[in-house]
Amino acid sequence: MSPRWRLLLLTLALLALAPGLWRVARAMPPFGSPTSLYGPAINQLAPAARHVSNMVAAVNFDFRGFDTLGEETMLLCAVTGAVVLLRGSRGEGGRDRAGRLPGRTVAPRADATVLVCRLSAALVLLFGVYVVLHGTVTPGGGFQGGVIAASSFLLLYLGEGYDVWRRLMRGPLLQLLEAGGALAFVVAAAVPLIRAHPALTNLLPLGQFRSLYSGGLVLVVNDAVGLSVTGSFGMLLLEFLEETRSSASDPVPDEEDT
Amino acid sequence: MRAALAVVTLLAAALCGLLVVLARDPKRQVFALLANGLVLSALFEVLQAPDVALSEIVVGAAVTPLLFLVALAAIALDRRERPTNGGQPR
Repeated sequence: MSPRWRLLLLTLALLALAPGLWRVARAMPPFGSPTSLYGPAINQLAPAARHVSNMVAAVNFDFRGFDTLGEETMLLCAVTGAVVLLRGSRGEGGRDRAGRLPGRTVAPRADATVLVCRLSAALVLLFGVYVVLHGTVTPGGGFQGGVIAASSFLLLYLGEGYDVWRRLMRGPLLQLLEAGGALAFVVAAAVPLIRAHPALTNLLPLGQFRSLYSGGLVLVVNDAVGLSVTGSFGMLLLEFLEETRSSASDPVPDEEDT
Repeated sequence: MRAALAVVTLLAAALCGLLVVLARDPKRQVFALLANGLVLSALFEVLQAPDVALSEIVVGAAVTPLLFLVALAAIALDRRERPTNGGQPR
């Protein structure tokens, strides 16, 4: 089919659909107006029932906490799958040298870059921990704080180069964070079962509304997710960046490693 | 004011998305994707979802582009290691 015919067909289809599209667009609720009763109901319920001021955390980790348990397991499985796939073709051992394409020069790192990366990596890690800990009070929470904390690893890589970074990033520690966080979530879900309550029932003291220690089990699950997400994303970065290395059997490149 | 900002960021998001599709060189595509992630996180912030904006700025504008760059680097290294293929797509 020639491009001209394709365009003609597209125009015809658009013309046929246009009246319907117009009617749907006219019938839509105004921009930003809530259509579901769920949101306003949660806004009314959560502060009194759970002493939580971040409604998203209340929904994710309490009212619909069981769904989040599934999502958390999904992330764990996805990262495990990626690690198994990459290590399957590469082997377990670490590699010594940076992979280098012939004829490609590598500019040395400026001191300013190193300084800015060191400072901002520390600050970003701190901000990630802050976002995780304040999950029940301010926007953010376990997942957001976890990915922010993991992005500080990236800044570290940018500033220090692979060799120093690889020595700083401990694979077993990241795996422990990842699996330990997920396990803590499962334990938090299972403990109420022993006392014949539904899974993830919030039996802990709820604390004071808008204080750091509010929400009871919401805070525990939130922190568990934060640990697990930090470990998961750290593992993902570690395994993927390992792919840019050369194996020891390759010919030695001329340039020095950076 | 907020509505105008929303319109501007929505248009920018559409433009960035278009750039991702139209860029033919994978490396440029990755950077277009990065820009798209930044614009999307701005859009989420304008639409009063700061938590989604936080995860989008890290996942969409830092981690995903990096993983794509690493994948491109790994492909380039792999082709260097197999000169019989001469860089031709398999």
